[in-house]
Amino acid sequence: MTRYSRAALFVLFTASLPCLAQKATTSTKAAPPPAASTAPATYVGSETCGTCHEDIGKAFAKSPHAAVDRGESKHGFKGQACESCHGPGSNHVMTLAAADIRNPAKLTPAEVDKTCLGCHRNQPTTSGRLEASHAHNDIACTSCHSVHARGPNGLVSRVRADINAQCESCHIEVKASFAEPFRHRVPENAMTCVDCHNPHGSFKPGLMRMANANEPGCLSCHNDKRGPFAFEHAPVREEGCQSCHMPHGSPNAKMLTRQEVRLVCLECHANLPISSGVVTGVVPPAFHDLTSPRYRNCTICHQKIHGSHIDRNLLR
Amino acid sequence: MKKLIPAFLCAGVLFGQSTETTPVPTDESVVSGYIDLGYRWQTGVHGSDASYRSIVDLGSGPKLFGADFTILNTFLPVGSRFFDRINIRLTDIGDDPYESYHLDISKAKIYKFTGDYRNIAYYNNLPGFADPLFGTGLILDEQAQDIHKRLADFRLDLFPNHTFMPYVEYDHASDYGTGIANFVADSNEYPVVNLTRDSTQNYRAGVRIELPKWHFKLEQGGTTFKDDEQLSAGPGVADYGNSGTPVFGQTLSLNSLAEAYAVRGHSYYTDASFGANPFNWIDLYGTFLYSQPVSNVGFAGLDTGNNVLLNQLLFYTSEENFIASAAKAPHTSANFGAEIRPLRRVRLLPSWFTDRMHTSGAGSGVDTLTTSPTSQVPIASLLASTLVSNSNEAGMQAFLDVTKKITLRGGYKYNWGNASDVILPIAELAGYETGKIRRSIWLFGLAWRPVQNAWINVDFEDGSSGSTYFRTSLYNYQKASVRGRYRLLKNLNVSANAMVLQNQNPTPGINYSFLAQTESASFQYIGGKTWDFEGSYTRSTFYSNIFYLNPEFETPEQSKYRDNSHTVTALFNFNLPGWLGYKTRLTVGGTALLANGSNPTVFYQPQVKLSVALRKGLAWNSELRYYGFGEDFYLYQGFRTYTVTTGVRITR
Repeated sequence: MTRYSRAALFVLFTASLPCLAQKATTSTKAAPPPAASTAPATYVGSETCGTCHEDIGKAFAKSPHAAVDRGESKHGFKGQACESCHGPGSNHVMTLAAADIRNPAKLTPAEVDKTCLGCHRNQPTTSGRLEASHAHNDIACTSCHSVHARGPNGLVSRVRADINAQCESCHIEVKASFAEPFRHRVPENAMTCVDCHNPHGSFKPGLMRMANANEPGCLSCHNDKRGPFAFEHAPVREEGCQSCHMPHGSPNAKMLTRQEVRLVCLECHANLPISSGVVTGVVPPAFHDLTSPRYRNCTICHQKIHGSHIDRNLLR
Repeated sequence: MKKLIPAFLCAGVLFGQSTETTPVPTDESVVSGYIDLGYRWQTGVHGSDASYRSIVDLGSGPKLFGADFTILNTFLPVGSRFFDRINIRLTDIGDDPYESYHLDISKAKIYKFTGDYRNIAYYNNLPGFADPLFGTGLILDEQAQDIHKRLADFRLDLFPNHTFMPYVEYDHASDYGTGIANFVADSNEYPVVNLTRDSTQNYRAGVRIELPKWHFKLEQGGTTFKDDEQLSAGPGVADYGNSGTPVFGQTLSLNSLAEAYAVRGHSYYTDASFGANPFNWIDLYGTFLYSQPVSNVGFAGLDTGNNVLLNQLLFYTSEENFIASAAKAPHTSANFGAEIRPLRRVRLLPSWFTDRMHTSGAGSGVDTLTTSPTSQVPIASLLASTLVSNSNEAGMQAFLDVTKKITLRGGYKYNWGNASDVILPIAELAGYETGKIRRSIWLFGLAWRPVQNAWINVDFEDGSSGSTYFRTSLYNYQKASVRGRYRLLKNLNVSANAMVLQNQNPTPGINYSFLAQTESASFQYIGGKTWDFEGSYTRSTFYSNIFYLNPEFETPEQSKYRDNSHTVTALFNFNLPGWLGYKTRLTVGGTALLANGSNPTVFYQPQVKLSVALRKGLAWNSELRYYGFGEDFYLYQGFRTYTVTTGVRITR
């Protein structure tokens, strides 16, 4: 090989290096993601996680869950808060493969709940979580709670307007009910959805809260309707306030289920004494002349309609 | 010079190292939050002022619209801190109809204190749809209320260790105000002034016990209640009441009235619950609740005028009424359930629930009627009542994770119970009634998560009853719902829901048919550079028919209810180009309700808001709102008005 030939080969080799490098890069890009490691993973600590997931780490440090990192949780995981939910991360650190870390966002809602309830089983609000309709509909804890507290509301909405907005984002039809003229003051944020409903679970229909152990939650504000009365109005006790009222909103000024008071009453007090044991509450207001306006608003006289302490006909 | 270069490079490396090891100062300030201050003008109500106050009730004046402050205790060493964090939230202060104050104080591993106070004005003075005086041209509701409801709640949680966490709580709820109620005599009724004054105190304390596999909550509480309602009228001009018709030639009237209730009540209650994960394949939960509220009532009334006891044709000029009554309602509830995971993809959820309430009451009284200056007729009464309500439910649901994206569920529940309502001696309207409930319910569902940011949920419930308590109860019904949500982009969400409930009770004499149907859609685009938008639309339909006999003539009638409403909410936000160099945000939108059917109603609440960031931490906000309310059948209840608000938000 002549000197010129060697020089030509060197130039050719040198010139081809960028191409080879580019090809190598291309083949790296085209290569499949690193395979998940089969070695058992170990804990690496939250600081290690924070070096790559910097934004999450910063937000997390301000969240209540940071107590786990500080060693204030009885479940341990001091300095390993991230891995308390995501599992040990050494393999993920080595391979950077998503398959090497547990991602709750890709788990089934039931598995997500199980992770959360591992620590939070006994929070005052979570008893009954297992039979709550949210759980049954696969609405996981993380649907409402931002575990990393990255959003504007932190871990969960605390301000009334934000709480209501969060519930309304799914329950659009309930939001529409509050556009009715007569409603509880939810649109004004004087109340929140969670004042009446327990989103974590209740054995009452509609996740209704209860007051004073097992009394209807409505009575925590409407305490004058609580009784017990010497003369009860049975539907109030047996089917609850919703048997006559639409609690979210109604076109009726007293938030009734019908446009006129008399129709609410007559639908039960129908003047048809059906045999006992089939239905109750049919006892008729036999003498009332409904063509007279005097009798068309029953609660003008039967004003203690929720129950009376002194009158069997709920007049006073 | 060349010798200095390596030394300079080494120094650079050392400086770099020292920068990395220096603690990074926290970017959180000790005090952070905002306060919204301003003034609201209410431009005057065109139409019914009573409706405006019953529905909106916002007034003019200086206001503290809101404040939210957090104080982080970073200025004291951890060991000598009384608190770690204080959060204060205030809303609508300054004679607004709903004021609220909230306080959170906490110190990690030591305590958490929460205090909440709300003052809600409740004004309702709308003419009843069957106002007895409406025909005379006088519009006067006989159940008007102008009261303040005050609610306070204080709770302290202590964290002495990780196993036992005690807490105490105190709640207070009260009503105070005036209104119009009715004094009901045998053949006439008279609107009179009503003073409402009641309060409830609720004390409770408990402990949460957290063991590795078992968690318990034990709570004991008690309440006290008092209600001192008073009705009064005159003395002065005679009130001829709602019935202008003379009885046997005599006009009925009320000259004076003084009535007072003294209701005193108390209760104690127990709340115990547990949750457990004894083995990896099973979770258990259960609750036991017991309460026993008691009421003791004294009532005294004195009225004068000319009234009649119709069944004895006894006219009287005055009446003295003294009644004492007492009632108690022991109430027990319990539930128990489990989640069993026999296979990796299968969950079984058996559940059981019972609720048993037995109310009993008694009242005795003497009603003394003065029929002439020298003659008095005493009428004594002694009544006893019981209301028993027992209900139970048992069921089983099964969940199958077909794939990671699809979960199917199905189940069965059975409701049963009995109720009886007795007042002795049997007379007048109320007597002895019993009822029972027997209902079978089948449940089906599907949860589908086609991609990570989307879910679709389908629910179906089919119930059939052998008997129910009331004519309007759920009897043979089907309930179905479909909900879907998809986050198309980071800033863009769309949701849609559809629901239907159909209830039929074909029993002769009832013939109840009910249908409720709702379709909703929402669209949310937030965080856009120049604009964003959130809006929703809901169409809701109600249809109800039920048979009854006209009380006086026993002619067949149908109670019909129809409602077909459209509700739109929309808010457009525009980030306007800098105005005089200030960042400006314009918000346009509002809510509109248009309903047809049994009570055609429109209610519009459009708004325009302008927010100008004057400098860092200071923004000027102005808002114009319109309220327009109208009803086709009750035109006199309509109103329209504007409110204009302006103020500043100071942020730190």
